[in-house]
Amino acid sequence: MEDLGLIHQLIVPIFGHKMTFNIDVIVMTWIVIFALLCFGFFATKQKSRLPGPLQVIGELFVKHLFELTEDALGERLSKKYAPLICALFMFLLLSNWLGVIPHLEEPTKDLNTPLSLGLMGFLIAHYAGIREKGLGTYLKAYCEPMFIMAPLNVIGELAKVISISFRLFGNIMGGSIIILVVSYLTFSIITPPFLNAFFGMFVGTIQAFVFTMLTVVYISVQVN
Amino acid sequence: MAYDIQTWIKVAAFTGGGMAMGFGAIGAAIGEGYTAASANEAIGRNPKLSGDIFKAMLVGQAIAESASIFALVIAMMLLFTKFAQNTLTPFVLLAAGLSMGLGAIGSGVGSGFPAGAACKGMARQPAVSGRLTTNMLIGSAVCQTPAIFALVVAFILLFQDFSSYPVSPMWAAILGAGISSGFGAIGSGLGGGLVAEASCDGISRQPLTATPVTNVMLLGQAVTQTTAIYALLVSFILMFKSFPGTDLLAPPMALLSAGICMGIGAIGPAIGEGFAGRSAVAWIARNQEHIADLTRLMLVGQAVAESTGIYSLVIALVLIFVV
Repeated sequence: MEDLGLIHQLIVPIFGHKMTFNIDVIVMTWIVIFALLCFGFFATKQKSRLPGPLQVIGELFVKHLFELTEDALGERLSKKYAPLICALFMFLLLSNWLGVIPHLEEPTKDLNTPLSLGLMGFLIAHYAGIREKGLGTYLKAYCEPMFIMAPLNVIGELAKVISISFRLFGNIMGGSIIILVVSYLTFSIITPPFLNAFFGMFVGTIQAFVFTMLTVVYISVQVN
Repeated sequence: MAYDIQTWIKVAAFTGGGMAMGFGAIGAAIGEGYTAASANEAIGRNPKLSGDIFKAMLVGQAIAESASIFALVIAMMLLFTKFAQNTLTPFVLLAAGLSMGLGAIGSGVGSGFPAGAACKGMARQPAVSGRLTTNMLIGSAVCQTPAIFALVVAFILLFQDFSSYPVSPMWAAILGAGISSGFGAIGSGLGGGLVAEASCDGISRQPLTATPVTNVMLLGQAVTQTTAIYALLVSFILMFKSFPGTDLLAPPMALLSAGICMGIGAIGPAIGEGFAGRSAVAWIARNQEHIADLTRLMLVGQAVAESTGIYSLVIALVLIFVV
């Protein structure tokens, strides 16, 4: 119970500024990245017409996420952005599932991870928007319905980053706090497997999907 | 009469626990009753499936109940835990109770809607009962998100060490944080329930559209939660920003009003966005050729409905940082 909210930090002073590194989150993120690299390597190692189990899983991911992107962005743009969406979903899914394994915790539990992924989606969406529509049309969209509304439109755009990242962060952190508190109250006897299945796997999958889909939608809103 | 701090902590713990469980019991009961009513209607239409419908009703009610169980956990902790002897502790306990109690209302009512629609859908279209159950579980679980946000705020309030903060503006900031996340969760829970209800209904009418309907439902619910997330953001700022100590009454009141402004301001937009999502999902099930148009219109409509929530956010931030 005492380790609630405890974060292992490495503070490095550089030129008078203090750089703070959250060690746990970095290690957990690298575990996820390494697992995904292994998955990618072994899924594509022996490609055959009769696919092995890993290849089937990989094909499922690719097929469904490409379809999802194509529905929202159209065929031409989806070729460009679908690999990104695929990678994002698989990273988030594995990150959210990582807490199920004892002694490991979700990198998405730390606000820094969802916030940076949200900022990434935001920047990509606006880059895509400027590229597709041109700078003039892009800027004009902020002055709708009147140009007095421009500040509120800008705040509305920035609020999208907040909403997408806090949604993931709140759900994952809420789930892990509930698991921690309930297993403390029941002396870790009964509920943790069930709670882990619900908050770790089920809610984790839904939230990873929601985050991915919102990123696609943000891109498509800017592009169209 | 002057009481010592021990007494005030006890008073606040009892009041907070009572409010957490009292308010927290409202929503789940309404939602479960709605589910049971729909299950009755469904069994009346198709008595052969009474076993399946009964099971679906129980599962749906169990999920709707979880919001109340969160409130129960917080109420128990308030009643039975020993808290630090600190002038701010009474406010912390009161705010934690308010946050969880109010936050459980919307999610409880909202999760009842998809469960009821799933029961009715099973009676209408028994062949898709598996898919309906999955969709109901996803929809109800997402409805619980606002209650989980309120729970997170309540836990952070209970376990954060506030002893180094100045008492004078901080008491209002703590109360504001609880009120903001509590009220802010009401609308989103309800609105998300409306969207999920339409999706269960739509899948039972047209099982072929199950995948797009579930996707758009998730999208609609996610956008519906946006104002609850603004409320969560305001409570985080109120809890973690260090305010300078003051003897004046105006700065604490500004922080308290920031919480009230964002909390109450988040209710309306979320319910409105829920209506927009509901009709979009319902019509995607009936007219699957125009999914892209319907989704776009839903998103634009929700963005406009949300603008009042953004006004509340702006005013809350101005109250915190400028005034």
